[in-house]
Amino acid sequence: MTNIVVLVKQVPDTNAKIVFNGESVDLSAVKMVTSPYDEFAIETALQHKESSGGTVTALTVGGSGADKILKDAKAMGVDNIVRVWGDGFETLDSNSFQSVLSGVLSELGADVVYCGKSSADLGSGSTGPGVAEKLGWASVSNIVSASFGDGLTVTAPADGGNAVVNVSLPAIISCDKGDLKPRKPNVRGIMMAKKAQVDVREASAPASTVTLVSQTPPPAKPAGKTYEGGQSAAEVAKLLRDEANVL
Amino acid sequence: MEKFEGLDFYDIESLLTEEEIMIRDMVRDYVDEEVIPHIEKACEDGVFLDKWRQDLGEMGVLGAPLKGYGCPGLSYVAYGLICQELERGDSGLRSFASVQGSLAMYPIWDFGSEEQKNHYLPKMASGEWVGCFGLTEPDYGSNPGGMVTKAEDMGDHYLLNGAKMWITNGTIADVAVVWAKLDGVIKGFIVEKGDEGFTAPEMKGKHSLKASVTSELVFQDCKIPKDRILPGVKGLRGPFSCLNNARYGISWGALGAAMACFHSAKTYTLSRIQFDHPIASYQLIQNKLAWMLREITKGQLLAYHLGKKKDDGTWFNEQISLAKMNNVDIALEIARMSRDMHGANGVLDEYPVMRHMANLESVKTYEGTHDIHNLILGRYITGIQAFTREA
Ligand SMILES: Cc1cc2nc3c(=O)[nH]c(=O)nc-3n(C[C@H](O)[C@H](O)[C@H](O)COP(=O)(O)OP(=O)(O)OC[C@H]3O[C@@H](n4cnc5c(N)ncnc54)[C@H](O)[C@@H]3O)c2cc1C
Repeated sequence: MTNIVVLVKQVPDTNAKIVFNGESVDLSAVKMVTSPYDEFAIETALQHKESSGGTVTALTVGGSGADKILKDAKAMGVDNIVRVWGDGFETLDSNSFQSVLSGVLSELGADVVYCGKSSADLGSGSTGPGVAEKLGWASVSNIVSASFGDGLTVTAPADGGNAVVNVSLPAIISCDKGDLKPRKPNVRGIMMAKKAQVDVREASAPASTVTLVSQTPPPAKPAGKTYEGGQSAAEVAKLLRDEANVL
Repeated sequence: MEKFEGLDFYDIESLLTEEEIMIRDMVRDYVDEEVIPHIEKACEDGVFLDKWRQDLGEMGVLGAPLKGYGCPGLSYVAYGLICQELERGDSGLRSFASVQGSLAMYPIWDFGSEEQKNHYLPKMASGEWVGCFGLTEPDYGSNPGGMVTKAEDMGDHYLLNGAKMWITNGTIADVAVVWAKLDGVIKGFIVEKGDEGFTAPEMKGKHSLKASVTSELVFQDCKIPKDRILPGVKGLRGPFSCLNNARYGISWGALGAAMACFHSAKTYTLSRIQFDHPIASYQLIQNKLAWMLREITKGQLLAYHLGKKKDDGTWFNEQISLAKMNNVDIALEIARMSRDMHGANGVLDEYPVMRHMANLESVKTYEGTHDIHNLILGRYITGIQAFTREA
């Protein structure tokens, strides 16, 4: 029985308009969703279970608001849903966050862990390799496909081509988009999710070693220029060559 | 166009259960991904994609409020939200789901024998079998009680003769629930594709609901086994109780079409510049947008409250008539207004508005025309029926 765990994170909907309140990002009115790459991780985890048996546990670090994405994962078909929270977790840095996760993963007895290659909000991409480092596990990042026949074999881009890697467990695998299509929930899954209990666990984190100083919005894009008609073609070509450097 | 994020001015979402929200979002995402990108082509080809049948079955939304026999047993509010999101895509999808769930599965579920329920419902809930509902005839539309299709008891089987017209899903149906007179009394019969003497030619040439199949059902000495009669009902109560459920779903569905038209009008008028400013900055346009928001919001409150009454069993027929009539009426008006606000672009298939407008003309007519619902309410208010001169 393979104990499969998938890490999921709640992030602002990628379609949402982000409001900046002067010092930091204001998320109070934003719809929160599962980070898109995590959906590929869930799909890979479910396929792993379907091909070689086992259980899939979705794990998130977050407040009670994050129960929603766990229920969404349950509706897609995971077996268990676990949420971890503790004092001061609002401001965890990547390093302390990875310590928390590695503690819980040991507690859960995970054999293999899937996660998204990076989260849609912070996008640092450090979780998979960072946790693997703390646990001393194998780690492959940015995989685009996986097969589970004879051990775990994954494909990840490498040096302009693809590397096919056979991974010994325990391992942490971070998932890119690949050609997977994350499955959609159905009514039966949603009704199971409604009944499911979130397993809430307390944890403590090591003191943070970094401090967030401030956030700033990206610089506004300069206004675009419009050219109409065939007579402007020469000028457009010149600008594309000299200013945009794309020709 | 900017992604549709729902229109919920009065925060009706706060009244929904977690399950209802998840189901709505599931259908909403599905419609954005699998319906809207293909709908114009399906309309052009005049087809209902078979993939949609399979997907709706796999999602588990067919026969949503029915319990048991493989049906999900969701709340009527959840069923309404499903209709809303499907019709935001196209009335043809909602029509398919209404006919399957409320008009074909429901009578078997409510009036069928145990054997009939076990035999038909699980396969209809999964979408494997498509159902249709044959009530309207060439000469009997608003007045179905006058129907001439008849069934005769031949001892070891029934013989059906007659014709039905305007039957949604007819040609693609595996199972037809057909209303016919047996010794002068209306009874329901289950006719299967391939039954001797039964054909279902498609009616072509619709300018509305182009992505929905509409057919004739023709019975010429059609022989059906004795166990295909619905034992639990006789008279117009049978078809009318099906229509009540479908009409309820339409009251939500029409709002979905209205929301799509509002969304398109808002997005378009904010970006369309005339006389140096976005047309949305002009008062006449804002007045139209405000009117649309107002009517959709009222319609939502009506549909939601009726849904709660359906769920606790305290509704009555005339409440459904009012909701169907009102919400289709405002949706059609919103579609026409939105079409106008898009100017010439409003007649193109690049925008959904003219398609919704044309669809809603059918929705206004089927399931009791707008005026038939006025007559139902008129009778409720005055106690005097005005359907016919004869009392
Ligand atoms: C796309 C489509 C799909 C359909 N699908 C189905 C289906 O699946 N199954 C099914 O059984 N039927 C179906 N119908 C048929 C639909 O239910 C009928 O068209 C509807 O009941 C109206 O009947 P009619 O068309 O014969 O109009 P009529 O009854 O002839 O009405 C014509 C006009 O006269 C008005 N009118 C009628 N009687 C009165 C009165 N007493 N006083 C004042 N005004 C009156 C009506 O309001 C209407 O404006 C469908 C129709 C369409 C367009």
